[in-house]
Amino acid sequence: MGFFVTSLIFLVIGIIACLCTRICFNRGPSTNLFHLTLVITATVCCWMMWAIVYLAQMKPLINPILNEAE
Amino acid sequence: MVGCCPPMDLMRSEEMQLVQLIIPLESSHLTVSHLGDLGLLQFKDLNADKSPFQRTYANQIKKCGEMARRLRYFREQMSNAGISAPPKSFTRNDIKVDDLEVKLGELEAELTEMNANNGKLQRTYNELVEYKLVLQKAGEFFHSAQSIAAAQQREMEAQQTEESLDTPLLTDQEKSGDPSKQVQLGFFTGLVPREKSMPFERILFRATRGNVFLRQTTAENPVTDPASGEKVEKNVFVIFYSGERAKTKILKICEAFGANRYPFSEDFGKQAQMLKEVSGKLSELRTTIDAGLLHRGNLLQTIGDQFEQWNILVRKEKSIYHTLNMLSMDVTKKCLVAEGWCPVFATQQIQDLLHRATLDSNSQVEAIFQVLYTKESPPTYFRTNKFTTAYQEIVDSYGIARYREANPTVYTVVTFPFLFAVMFGDWGHGICLLICTLYLVIREKKLGSQKLGDIMEMMFGGRYVILMMAIFSIYTGFIYNEFFSVPFELFGKSAYDCRDLSCKDATIDGLIKVRDAYPFGLDPVWHGSRSELPFLNSLKMKMSILLGVAQMNLGIMMSFCNATFFRSCVDIWFQFVPQIIFLNSLFGYLSFLIVLKWCTGSKADLYHIMIYMFLSPTDDLGENELFSGQKTTQIVLLLLALVAVPWMLLPKPFIMKRQHENRHQGESYIPLQAEESLQGEAANGSHGEHEEFEFSEVLVHQLIHTIEFVLGAVSNTASYLRLWALSLAHSELSTVFYDKVLMLAWGYNNVFILIIGIIVFIFATVGVLLVMETLSAFLHALRLHWVEFQNKFYFGDGYKFYPFSFSLMVEEEE
Repeated sequence: MGFFVTSLIFLVIGIIACLCTRICFNRGPSTNLFHLTLVITATVCCWMMWAIVYLAQMKPLINPILNEAE
Repeated sequence: MVGCCPPMDLMRSEEMQLVQLIIPLESSHLTVSHLGDLGLLQFKDLNADKSPFQRTYANQIKKCGEMARRLRYFREQMSNAGISAPPKSFTRNDIKVDDLEVKLGELEAELTEMNANNGKLQRTYNELVEYKLVLQKAGEFFHSAQSIAAAQQREMEAQQTEESLDTPLLTDQEKSGDPSKQVQLGFFTGLVPREKSMPFERILFRATRGNVFLRQTTAENPVTDPASGEKVEKNVFVIFYSGERAKTKILKICEAFGANRYPFSEDFGKQAQMLKEVSGKLSELRTTIDAGLLHRGNLLQTIGDQFEQWNILVRKEKSIYHTLNMLSMDVTKKCLVAEGWCPVFATQQIQDLLHRATLDSNSQVEAIFQVLYTKESPPTYFRTNKFTTAYQEIVDSYGIARYREANPTVYTVVTFPFLFAVMFGDWGHGICLLICTLYLVIREKKLGSQKLGDIMEMMFGGRYVILMMAIFSIYTGFIYNEFFSVPFELFGKSAYDCRDLSCKDATIDGLIKVRDAYPFGLDPVWHGSRSELPFLNSLKMKMSILLGVAQMNLGIMMSFCNATFFRSCVDIWFQFVPQIIFLNSLFGYLSFLIVLKWCTGSKADLYHIMIYMFLSPTDDLGENELFSGQKTTQIVLLLLALVAVPWMLLPKPFIMKRQHENRHQGESYIPLQAEESLQGEAANGSHGEHEEFEFSEVLVHQLIHTIEFVLGAVSNTASYLRLWALSLAHSELSTVFYDKVLMLAWGYNNVFILIIGIIVFIFATVGVLLVMETLSAFLHALRLHWVEFQNKFYFGDGYKFYPFSFSLMVEEEE
């Protein structure tokens, strides 16, 4: 799974979460916007974290050198 | 925010208005009481110049204070008697305050009388108990003395004929002292506290120069002292003395030592009679006391049943009069004038409520509600729910938002637990945390109604914060691939493998990448490898900078939201734009380079690039070149950053000066100060408009702001490196506990050692990682939000909306 496919999965999960909160907690436009902001922020945070770790491992300059004991 | 979107909850504080209520005197009490039930109006004190005693309702408040005192007395009595008031018994039998006052007075009188009687009876009872003890013990003593004397008498008679050396001297003496010469001995009997018995004896001996005979026996059970009512260990004593002087001395000493004396007769017949009498009295008293106590208990129980209701009623009454005292009396003395802040959305509610109060109190005149216009800054009021309250409090403890300014809570709800989790990434620990908070969240109804300890209260208040922290830690734990520091291959195979089948090189040159990168999170192969730390450090350091730059940009975007909301073009063009250019041309560019380096796998040295971008921007980059045209880009970015500094500093003060001059152009007349005071208190805040425009002050302010931002951009970015440091510390600590405790204990192949190892591991994990590390990560996340995030846009110089509300009052008292 490449970078873009997983990013797409994150996007889909984000959209699903947005829809879920919209359907489950429909409390008027202002509150819905607030919920939307929360879900988007959370999705972006999670995606960023994953993306950073994934990108860092794509073309690493250091290779894992096993410990002698193991 | 923007016209096309609906306003977001929590983003802005509620719109407030200053309102004036003119309430007829007869309905004022009911109106204020209804307003307290609603809890959406903050009264302004219109009598601030008057002392509490000069105010209209000082007497009523005094009365309420008296009632509260009586209730406290009842509470004390109830807790002494071990009766607890049921917390909230909503048996709504409405009682008027005046009736309650009378009732409380009666109850207090009854209770004090009952207590006094009981006290008296108890004292008599205790005295009798002591007397009985004395009768028993001294009786025993006299009896044994008599029998010994009789035995000696007999012996003596037997021995009289045969004198021998065995005859003790003492008996000799006694024998010689024949009854006719005997001195009349007096005696006292009584009880003395045991710890004082030794000094008592010594003093007696010294005072009478040894001419005293003291006999003590211990009373087995502690006795209740009649005077103090406490349980004391005591000794029964009998003192024999001779002479009047010795008697007075002994009496004084007894008094000084708190030794209670009781009459005692030598005659056995009388003794028996006394004993019988005392026992009879005792049982009689016991039943009387029991009946009294039962009666008192019943009384207290009836008080206890309604106590909470009365308590709330009295407190409400007191707060109502406090509020009424803040209103000013109209000149005609027929109505009260109130001023206060209320949210705009509550207008209709308050008007309805005023109407209802008028009807309920049969007043002929309706209260008047009108909105006042003022320049005064209104209080800040956020409508939070049980989920967002804790986050709002995190923000509020830094500073209450300025009226209607953008509220960081909107993002803090997510970013706070997220940054915490970046430092606390371990899904094992996350699950532990989750279980703890789930318990709090699930039982919140039950826990919310009872009193908790200080620390527990804090945990309970922040349960939703901790819940989110736990959920995010589980997520970041998966990213870091750590479960109590143990990695799992959950998301597919590791990307690395040996170079050849023999795997000889694995410990020298390392493994080789054979597949695509590990799809989710950190490759498990890194764990325990020799290159783990260099790799993780590089990764986490870069991650901290990326997250930091992102959050700081978000902060500057919030300042943009503020500027558009307050329609301040100056702030957009001369604050927001140069700020975002400055930050991104330096650290945005760094972030871009980091990502680019990862994507291309280049070996360029980012430190070198960044340093020489300043030192010699025109030099060739050589092997550090990541993309073509990098040199030009860097020069442009550097110039932009350099231009942004004066851009931030200079135009704003000049434009503000121009605006100020334009506003006051043609104002050749200055409004008289007297005019203002005529407008009454409504115009209190309007001084602000005519304030002097101090250009130098504004310039210095802007200079400080600019310097702070420019230096802050560097130091704040560096400050985000704490994310790396703390997450490193966390993972290293958990590795140490796992390897050096659990695995070491496992290696011994001994059940006993293993159990000890497990116990130590659990305690270390809970104590150090779950408690200490949580706290420190919490504090660092707090700092990142308060300083690095909020200083980009948050003024935090507002004041909190504090409505007159009964529910708030009850919460506070608890």
